[in-house]
Amino acid sequence: MTELLQLVVIGLSTGSAFALVGIGLVLVFRTTGIVNIAQGAFAVLGGLFMVALVDDLPGVVAGLVVVLIVGLVGSIVGFVAVGFRRRTTSVASLIITLGFALLISALSLLAFGDETHTYAAISAHAWELGGVLVQPQHVAVAGVTLASSVLLALGLQRTIAGQALVASGDSRRVAELVGIDPRAVAAIAFAVAAALAALGWVLMTPVDPVRWDSELRIVLNGFAAAAFGGLVSIRLAYLGGLTLGVAEQLVVGYGDAIPGIGDQARQYELAAALVIMLVLIGWRSRHEVHE
Amino acid sequence: MTPFLDVDGLVVQYGQAVAVDGVSVSVAHGERVALIGPNGAGKSSLLNAVCGLVKPAAGRVRVDGRDLTGRKPGEIVRAGLTQVPEGRQVFPTLQVETNLLLGAYGREFRRELVSATLRYLGRRGEIAERLERVYSLMPRLSELRDRPAGQTSGGEQQMVAIGRALMAEPRLLAVDELSLGLGPLVVQSLTEFLFRLSDEEGVTLLLVEQNAALAFELCTRAYVLEAGRLVLAGSSEELRRNADVRSVYLGGPTVTDAELDR
Repeated sequence: MTELLQLVVIGLSTGSAFALVGIGLVLVFRTTGIVNIAQGAFAVLGGLFMVALVDDLPGVVAGLVVVLIVGLVGSIVGFVAVGFRRRTTSVASLIITLGFALLISALSLLAFGDETHTYAAISAHAWELGGVLVQPQHVAVAGVTLASSVLLALGLQRTIAGQALVASGDSRRVAELVGIDPRAVAAIAFAVAAALAALGWVLMTPVDPVRWDSELRIVLNGFAAAAFGGLVSIRLAYLGGLTLGVAEQLVVGYGDAIPGIGDQARQYELAAALVIMLVLIGWRSRHEVHE
Repeated sequence: MTPFLDVDGLVVQYGQAVAVDGVSVSVAHGERVALIGPNGAGKSSLLNAVCGLVKPAAGRVRVDGRDLTGRKPGEIVRAGLTQVPEGRQVFPTLQVETNLLLGAYGREFRRELVSATLRYLGRRGEIAERLERVYSLMPRLSELRDRPAGQTSGGEQQMVAIGRALMAEPRLLAVDELSLGLGPLVVQSLTEFLFRLSDEEGVTLLLVEQNAALAFELCTRAYVLEAGRLVLAGSSEELRRNADVRSVYLGGPTVTDAELDR
């Protein structure tokens, strides 16, 4: 029981980080119709920049600086991805974000080398609750993610600026006609999405070290989380991320009990979790059809 | 007096294809003018170029005496010209009321985005008054205010689109294909509404229509566009009597002429 709870605790925190990446994907898709492949690269940039800055600046300041810088990078990607011609298709935009993802990976490899990077957690202490170890870092990730998801959802629904962003996703043409600039929408949505992804790995890196190519694993998990909400629901993307995180930890924890897999359980972590996610998405869409 | 809208020698091209080929149109304050022509004549392209959705290849667009050729849609809206786009276009997932509020976006919220963000949907002051005004003009929208716009009927969506345009307090309302896909009763009530708007509120109307009978009924003057060129212009009375217009747009004069000969 203790082991199970321990896995769930860790799963909830890694899942939260996936959820942060996922709600960024939802935000961009909902407002611009663009599937943003570079979202994983933004997370990696967040982790790597944090490692580079954390020795010279107080942790919180370093984190804020990193989130702002990556947000700026995101807004540039969004500005370019939305296209300079009026008829840029969403597929073309997707390819542009893929290009940026590869570019960012390549630059990260050049700048940070082929090693895994991490930095010391905010506190070496862990709280013990009934035999379950809870690291402050895990609590920080989970809390920040919950707060960001709630703020983002409220901001989109309850403010005129948020509704203007959603309106642009609803109908870009009409949005333009009322004076909403789609390029500004893309720049803002990508900036916020990139900042969220960066925030996720600013906080995760001490417990989940990053390398230049961690991008693929992060973006796949983020997608799975976002897909749980059909790429349009922040709430469901959040739940999807948590579910995915827990499922992965369970596969890692109990996988060695499955005959024939044994020690290699870790390698199957992502694959198994994605299968679970597919089943859940299928179940949810069936459920929706029947409603 | 300078016309409110003055389009001079406008050319719109999509790649090699010329959609609008040197068309000049002018609309005076308070007028009701129609732009008619068959599908693909370039009516919507002309309107989109005026509204800043498409950059014209040549020609000038002046609104209220100011040259606004090729400016962004928001600037055209601020100059007092708002378009109701073709096909009952609303923001389907947003509530009717939000659809309406966003109509004022180009004129108000952009300048004060931060403060508008802080107050809940800007439901205050001048914008709230304007919203009440639109509701009093179209009470049906008030009943539907909390419903997602995509879940209303076709006619209601067209009302949302018109109401949204009115939120920008336009001096010229350009309506693209008012009647498209709507039943005759709905079209009639919308036509009456536009007539009242022009008559009582002094809003200038530019109607872009395939339905020439409707255009002649509502407007005093019309331009006829064919294959990107202006082929006829005149008062609705003159055009209604014109044999070519009748054969092409009003369901055939040949029958009537034959009857006259008999």
